[in-house]
Parts: sequence; structure tokens; C-alpha cells
Amino acid sequence: MLRLEAVRAAYGPVEALRGIDLEVGAGELVCLLGANGAGKSTTLRAISGLVRPTAGRIVFDDRAITGAEPSAVLASGIAHCPEGRRVFPHLTVEENLAMGAYVRRDREGIAQDLERVCTHFPILGERRRQAAGTLSGGEQQMLAIGRALMARPRLILFDEPSLGLAPTVVETTFAIIADIRRQGTTVLMVEQNAYLALQMADRAYVMETGRIVLSGRARDLMNDEKVRRAYLGG
Amino acid sequence: MDAFLQHLVNGLVLGGTYALLGIGLTLIFGLMNLVNFAHGELYTLGAYATFAAVALGGWNFFVAVAAAIVVGAVAGALCERVLLAPLRDESIDTTMLVMIGLWIALQNAELLGWGGVAKSIPHPFPTAPLTLGPVGIAPLRVFVVLTALALIGLSWLLIQKTRLGTAMRATFQDRETAALMGVKIGRIHTATFAFGSALAAAAGALLGPIFLAYPSMGDLASLKAFSVVILGGLGNLAGATLGGVLLGIAEELGAGYVSSGYRDAVGFVIIILVLLFRPSGLFARSQRIG
Ligand SMILES: Nc1ncnc2c1ncn2[C@@H]1O[C@H](COP(=O)(O)OP(=O)(O)OP(=O)(O)O)[C@@H](O)[C@H]1O
Ligand SMILES: [Mg+2]
Repeated sequence: MLRLEAVRAAYGPVEALRGIDLEVGAGELVCLLGANGAGKSTTLRAISGLVRPTAGRIVFDDRAITGAEPSAVLASGIAHCPEGRRVFPHLTVEENLAMGAYVRRDREGIAQDLERVCTHFPILGERRRQAAGTLSGGEQQMLAIGRALMARPRLILFDEPSLGLAPTVVETTFAIIADIRRQGTTVLMVEQNAYLALQMADRAYVMETGRIVLSGRARDLMNDEKVRRAYLGG
Repeated sequence: MDAFLQHLVNGLVLGGTYALLGIGLTLIFGLMNLVNFAHGELYTLGAYATFAAVALGGWNFFVAVAAAIVVGAVAGALCERVLLAPLRDESIDTTMLVMIGLWIALQNAELLGWGGVAKSIPHPFPTAPLTLGPVGIAPLRVFVVLTALALIGLSWLLIQKTRLGTAMRATFQDRETAALMGVKIGRIHTATFAFGSALAAAAGALLGPIFLAYPSMGDLASLKAFSVVILGGLGNLAGATLGGVLLGIAEELGAGYVSSGYRDAVGFVIIILVLLFRPSGLFARSQRIG
């Protein structure tokens, strides 16, 4: 479904991606692990068009989307739920969700999806007219996920969805992501919480300083000696 | 007391147009991070466009005012596409210098095109003031204040209730995430600059007939617009609206009770005080446009 071939990217003189090869099949949940600064976020940003690759190819459903504008990538079916949630703090919950559907034109479908998201996340329904900045961290994460779903994507990129959340909220968040995937949406997820991530993923990639250093089935990686030591605390 | 009411009414007329100028400038600053020194030239353009349409073209006055607003929007869109779009990632100093250049160029173009002699813009209103109890107000001024208020209301609706307005606010708050939502940031910039320019042109089209049209009229308008933005807080739409009205009223009161020569000084004294004591604007705590 999604394929990265030798993708490189840089911020000015600093090369953040030094040739990434990665593949996500339709219906899969794939996890991207790695230490701080390894280039995980940059990989997602290259996919969604926020960063223009300096070399390599990104192919989605047999169409090259390398260097495409974020709006074009989104329209082709990839939504990106960014690191740190990034809800629009002064827009209401409902306006935030509407922004998620910005590239869509089917008014009725959008209204239906808005209701669906509000039913699925009752807290968002209750706070519809409230500024998103007044929500708690967990609620903002629900909003960020709901907003990504509003685009009706076929593939969602999650960047550290558990970051800064209380343990119970982390569980809820992972349950939601598992649910999204069960309903047929493909997921590529960056996560620091390697243990939880590997438990729910089908496959995983491990990054180090701009390169993929390890990949395989999540179950196998969980038993891998190197991974255990580096990411699972022994 | 009667004189006070009269000053208040006059202040409201002036303040309504100051608000238009300020809203345009604050939107452009807030969203594009651009210090728009050419803002006053769009005001001048609005006045001359009205003059040209009415005095030279023989157009109906109201159609001319509407046309001037459209001219302002188109000129703003062109400016943004041609001058600013290529400089999107440049520093604020670079774009500021470009806008200073545009200011000088436009002002001299106006001087060349229209000559230095001030033009009076014909309008269809009777000159005899309407009297409302102790207060007298020229019908033209009634038209000006009502139009200004209507335009402010429309701006609010555009920004708060439309898809474009929501995208503008989202971009203002978090440009990168707005792009992730599929917002084409370049288009938002063009739309914002066109919109702000249209409001400045509207202010010129409205005040031009009260005062006169002359090439350097935009300089004072720019100063007023910057004052309003400082009063209201950078990027604060409600602040710009209230700041505009407050500045207009303060100036009228100053002109009335101190000396008419001090009209503009009053405004600047207030600005200095605000900068000293409330540097983020009088309304810093109220919500920003975004
Ligand atoms: N906007 C930027 N400008 C310059 N360098 C950047 C920028 N963003 C990231 N980098 C650098 O690129 C490299 C990769 O960053 P990236 O954010 O992709 O890492 P990450 O794996 O997501 O890390 P984390 O786990 O901390 O989120 C880092 O060395 C980082 O310092
Ligand atoms: Mg990251």
C-alpha cells in the first residue's frame, strides 16, 4: 500500500534520513521504533509532504507521492496525526474536527462523520463548542485522532500517540488505535512505548540515526536480544 | 454634556474607519507575520478609485465605493502573489523592507498619476446635518459609520463562520498542522492580504469623501492603523475593532477639549502609554483571532 524507497531528507545541512526503505501493506499495523532524534517523525513528515525528500521515492497505491503537497497526500488517503497532538487551541472541538475534513466536499458525509466521531468519543460530543485548548491532554489526543479520522483516510500515521499521557489514557489510546485498524484502516505508528506498540503491531521497523537498522514481525522483535536491551528495558 | 455627545458621535465615525484599517493590518500581521508598511497606500487607492469612478467615470457613488473595495482586494491579491509569495520563507526584516519599497513606489505613482493637488470626491448626500436631540451629524457621516459597522460585521462572519475563515484561524494558530489538514497556506496568505487590503481600501473610499484624496493621505492612515493594532494587541481582531473605535473617540475628545491641533497627538500619547503599561495591548487577555 505504502512504500518508501531509499528516502533521504535533510533540515538544511543536517541529514535526518539517510536512505529509508519501508513498506506498509493494506490492513497492517506497522510500528516504527527508535531513540530520540533517530528520524521517526521526519519519516512520517516526508510521507505526508511536510518535508520534501532530497532523494528516493514514496509510493502510495502504485502512485508516486514523493514531494507532493500535504493537501495532495491527504486527498490521496493518508492522514497524519502529529506528534504532540497539535489541536488548534482556539478553535472549538467541532471546528477542529471540521478542519480534519477540510479537503472533503461532501457536506452530508462530513456531518455524519462528525456525529460518528462524537458518538465514538462522547467527551468530544459533550465539549463540541469548547475551545480545544481547554481540554485535558487525553481529551486532546482523542480530538487529534478524531480529527485525523474526519478525512476518512485509508492509512493513518500516528506520531507518538501516547506521549505525555497518563497510563490509563495510554491504554485507552492504544485500544482506540487497535479499533481503527480492526475497522479496516491501515496504521503506521511511531511509538516510544515499545512494549505496548510491539504487542499490538504486526510488523515493526527500528531506526537509528536516519537509517532502518532492524525490521521484522513484531513478535520476533519482541524476543530479539538487541531490541530487548535497547527498547524494552532488558 | 451636549458637546461631549457630539464628540462621541464624531469619534464613532472616525473610529469605525480606524477599525477597518486596524482589522486589515492586524490580520495580515498575525497570519503572515508581515509588517505591512504599504497598508496606507491601499487606503489611498480606495479613495482615488472612488474619485475616478465618480468624478471621471460618472458612476453612481455607492457602486463606486463597492468597486473601490473590489479594486483594493484585487490589488492586494496581486501584491501578495507577485511580491510576497516568492519571499514566503524570508525573514520579517526582508518582507518589511519590500513593503517599505512598495509604499514609496505606490505613493509616487499616485503623485505622478493624480498630481499633488487634493481632489474632492463628489457624493450624493445633502450637506445639512441631521439633528438627533443635541447631536448633529452629516448624512454622509451616517453612511460612513453604518457602512463601516456593516463591513466589520461581515469580516467577523467571514472569519468566524466560513470555511475560509476557519482555515485562516487554524493557519494563524498552527501553520504546519493546518497544512496537514490540507490547507493550502499560500492561498490563505493571498486571501488574507486581499481581504486586509479590501478593508483598507474601504476605509479610504469612506473617509475620502469626508476629507479629500491626496497622494500622501495614506501615511497618516498607516500610522492610525498601526496605533489601532498596538492598542488592540497584535493579531487580535476584537482588539482592533475596539481599539479603532476607542482611538477615534479619544482623538475627537482631545481635539474638542484640548485643541484641534492636538487631534493626532492624542492618539500617539495613548499609544505610548499603552506600550509603557500594557505592551501586549489593552485587550491582551481576550481571545486572539486565532
Ligand atoms: N525543524 C528541524 N530543524 C532542524 N533539525 C531538525 C528539525 N526537526 C528535526 N531535526 C533533526 O532531525 C533529526 C531527526 O529528528 P526527528 O524529529 O525525526 O526524530 P524523532 O525520531 O522523531 O525523535 P523524537 O523521538 O525525539 O521525536 C534530529 O537530529 C533532529 O535534531
Ligand atoms: Mg518525533
